[in-house]
Amino acid sequence: MADSIRVLIVDDEERFRDTLAKLLSRHGFTVRTAGGGNEALALLTEAPCDVIVLDVKMPGLSGQQALPLLRAACPEAEVLILTGHASVDIASAMIAGGAADYLLKPCPTDELEGAIRAVYDRRQATRPR
Amino acid sequence: MGLRVLAVDDEADFIETLVKRFTYRRIPVTAAANGPEALARLDREDFDVVILDMRMPGMDGLTVLQEIKKRHPLVEVIILTGHASVEAGMQGMSLGAYDYVLKPVDFGELLEKANKAYERKKLNESRDHS
Amino acid sequence: MNPATILENHRPPLWPHTLLAPLLAGAAVLLALAAPPVVGFALALFAGAVCIGSALTLARRVRSGERQLRELDKRLLQSQKLAAIGELSSGIAHEINNPLAIITQEIDLARELFGPSGCPDPADLAEVRDSLDQIGKQVERCRLITHKLLNFARKMEPVLQEEALEHVIEDMAILAEREAKGRGVAIVRAYDQTLPTVRTDVPLLRQVILNLLTNALAATPQGGTITLATRRSDDQIIIEVRDTGCGIPPENMAKIFNPFFTTKEPGKGTGLGLSLSHGIVTRLGGTLTAQSTPGHGATFTVALPL
Ligand SMILES: Nc1ncnc2c1ncn2[C@@H]1O[C@H](COP(=O)(O)OP(=O)(O)OP(=O)(O)O)[C@@H](O)[C@H]1O
Ligand SMILES: [Mg+2]
Repeated sequence: MADSIRVLIVDDEERFRDTLAKLLSRHGFTVRTAGGGNEALALLTEAPCDVIVLDVKMPGLSGQQALPLLRAACPEAEVLILTGHASVDIASAMIAGGAADYLLKPCPTDELEGAIRAVYDRRQATRPR
Repeated sequence: MGLRVLAVDDEADFIETLVKRFTYRRIPVTAAANGPEALARLDREDFDVVILDMRMPGMDGLTVLQEIKKRHPLVEVIILTGHASVEAGMQGMSLGAYDYVLKPVDFGELLEKANKAYERKKLNESRDHS
Repeated sequence: MNPATILENHRPPLWPHTLLAPLLAGAAVLLALAAPPVVGFALALFAGAVCIGSALTLARRVRSGERQLRELDKRLLQSQKLAAIGELSSGIAHEINNPLAIITQEIDLARELFGPSGCPDPADLAEVRDSLDQIGKQVERCRLITHKLLNFARKMEPVLQEEALEHVIEDMAILAEREAKGRGVAIVRAYDQTLPTVRTDVPLLRQVILNLLTNALAATPQGGTITLATRRSDDQIIIEVRDTGCGIPPENMAKIFNPFFTTKEPGKGTGLGLSLSHGIVTRLGGTLTAQSTPGHGATFTVALPL
């Protein structure tokens, strides 16, 4: 196995992020979780990560507000938006703001995992060594 | 034809007293010990106001309320219960209960509420026919 | 179609009679003074005819203008409705998709724990059971949301009854009081005893009061106070629910009545309470408003016509 992909899950729904963390860990990812944008920023100053799975609608700092801050805090991370909010406008705005992909909840775990690996591989391919 | 009451509660003593007091005022009242029995009664006979407990074994009060409103939308339901929960109160009121009353309640007040609920049913009926 | 084009269609022309009429009338008056009476009389008649003609044209223009305005109104309403539906659907999608996402994951996890043999490791059984419980909880959460939504869909034509206001709200106060006591919050009543009876939909108004009391309870910490006050103001009856809780920040003030706006944790509030209440009070011919000094509590005011 190559290096384990480091994932940071940012979602205000506690049970959601805990079970997702459990599933991803079982599948070989290294996972940390945050309940909101500010907590995520704090975690990123401790250690960087490869992929950030980011919710949009959260109390406090919303996903949209957090996106540029997270990218600034950890430029090498790819951001994958995962949200129950079905707005195409927000999706395109966030992709324009540098998010790698946008997935809609509910999303089967293998699909999400596939998307995480895909954005990670893409980053590895394009990143200057 | 005046107010006809159906009282639903699994507490036998409580319901017995209630029946006595309504009867004393010459108001026709029928007792049911649980939800299914109450629903069966309502299918067979006409009632105006149901006095309903929240916590009963088997079918809980909210489900009974929902069934009553589904099958007999004009029948008014007064929830009379020892179950002091704002959450249950909100659910009960939004399912169409006329009032959510905590035990113990003064019988005179309960009667007043039942009469008001009956008045509402009559208003509703006259509008439905016009 | 653009509104300007509708407005310009089929409008009777204004010119020339509307200009001609006053001119001719003026001429008739002048001539009546100078010329022989017959000429003045004939001219006056002619001017009168033109006046009537232009009045008719004006009336037709006004009528057609009104028709077009109504048409515009209808379209505007339609587009507002569409915008409201859009906002509502994205709210519903979010509120239902989140529990569905949890359910999906719990199922994936449980399947995985069952393993290829179809029999979970005894060590994992508790986790499987926990997943099942969680699925049940999330289904319940969805059910609550859809039930509240059906409440919006109900016709709920108000049934108006004469009743003493205190009789309408006191049972809700008692219910909130029982719950408040357990949390060290006091409920204070400040009822105006001289109020006349109100003519309103009693159970609908109860629903509003209970909603406001529940919100106040959620916002008020131990040791706080919730005041339920009634009073009369001109031709209105006022019901106030005041609390000493956290208050509402100004940036949220405009949003609190929107369906699905909530600051509660996911699964704790659906954000439908205030929008439902607002809808009810409006249907009762009244208004529901909020004021707050953040940090010093909030006041919700129901004003009903007498
Ligand atoms: N008394 C109050 N004090 C402070 N904030 C309030 C108060 N009442 C309402 N709010 C704010 O308005 C929001 C919307 O209230 P609303 O009743 O519509 O939804 P909710 O209480 O969050 O959820 P629900 O009523 O569906 O359980 C609340 O989440 C809260 O932020
Ligand atoms: Mg609420």
